[in-house]
Amino acid sequence: MPFREINSKMVEAVVGPGQKMYSQRGAMLAYRGDVSFTPNIQGGQGGLGSMIGRRVAGEATPLMTVEGSGTVMFGHGGHHIQVIDLSGDTLCVEADRLLAFDGTLQQGTLFMGSQGGVMGMVRGQVTGQGLFTTTLKGHGSVAVMAHGGVIELPITPGRPVHVDPQAYVAHHGDVTNKLSTALGWRDMVGRGSGEAFQLELSGSGAVYVQASEEKL
Amino acid sequence: MFRLQGSKTLAVDLTGDAVKAKNGSMVAYDGQMAFKKMSGGGEGLRGMVTRRLTGEQMVMMEVKGQGTCYFADRASEINLVSLHGETLYVEASNLLATDAGLRTGTSFTGLRGGASGNGLFTTTVEGTGQAAIMSDGSAVVLRVTPQYPLNVDPGAYIAHQGRLQQHFQSGVNFRTIMGEGSGESFQIRFEGDGLVYVQPSERNTVGGDV
Repeated sequence: MPFREINSKMVEAVVGPGQKMYSQRGAMLAYRGDVSFTPNIQGGQGGLGSMIGRRVAGEATPLMTVEGSGTVMFGHGGHHIQVIDLSGDTLCVEADRLLAFDGTLQQGTLFMGSQGGVMGMVRGQVTGQGLFTTTLKGHGSVAVMAHGGVIELPITPGRPVHVDPQAYVAHHGDVTNKLSTALGWRDMVGRGSGEAFQLELSGSGAVYVQASEEKL
Repeated sequence: MFRLQGSKTLAVDLTGDAVKAKNGSMVAYDGQMAFKKMSGGGEGLRGMVTRRLTGEQMVMMEVKGQGTCYFADRASEINLVSLHGETLYVEASNLLATDAGLRTGTSFTGLRGGASGNGLFTTTVEGTGQAAIMSDGSAVVLRVTPQYPLNVDPGAYIAHQGRLQQHFQSGVNFRTIMGEGSGESFQIRFEGDGLVYVQPSERNTVGGDV
């Protein structure tokens, strides 16, 4: 069930019998019909093993399961919402930016440190995103929150995109990311341009960037 | 060369040339880019000293390279301004980016600055090229002609261009002193011929409290 954008800060989803969806706890604004919201202690799919995985990785956000039949409206904190449709590829997103997603999508946790060795470890520290990120895979829609509007930048082989870590929201497709530094002597003496660290995303896919450098 | 991607992101296509932008405002780029902080806002030693003295702080960086660079700052709305030899007056905090060919400087604003909470000095941008200014909410551009002067709330003013004289006027009266003011006791009056950019939001100003 795709999300319908009511305005830039609210989305509406139709829930039918036998369909399930997950959303951040407390993100429901209004609903019509007979819909139930159950807090999901496991924080998503995959049973106990996945739950422990997420706790350890610090990617556990309070989620709730939305079931029943009716329409539900979601929104949170006045943040802008971007709806991303997935058709078989994988979306990487920080767990706290997830507003709601289809139950048909497979949720997982990805260890980012495995990409790029030591630099990968540093990346998590510098960007404040930690070493893990949440992945969603399959066919369905995801509603992601961002501060300010979101722009989608395509990534094609041979044309990597560099993103300010604070403005990075999510990416999908077959993309590897690494931290690139442009540290010069100017940064050492406190005359930096404020752009010393960037995420370099290469491969093929797309990256979502928010029009702000503020975290949620 | 400057284009808007949505209303809050500025995309600049560079082919080996340079732009000046607010420090740290880059959100993404593709291609090759180099970022360099411009000491004193890129006006040389004299400009730097003037800035320090006037408190009209502006930290800019020079972006040079090949490709497309995206700028945004705290989800502010962005407005593009084309300059053909005239001067744009803008608060330093509202200036996002300018063509490298445009000169920036500092000018004295008089009493207005005090009431708008921006200090007594403002930034000028002059030359031929494009500039991007930021506003809290989408800005409206109001035309001022000699027949139609314009009064603006100091907190909502962001920039102006053209041949305009500005006066500061106050409507302080008996009621204001008694604490029954309408919150609109101070205005800036623009006369002449030009454009004024106004945002649909008011900064906290001294004038707004009375």
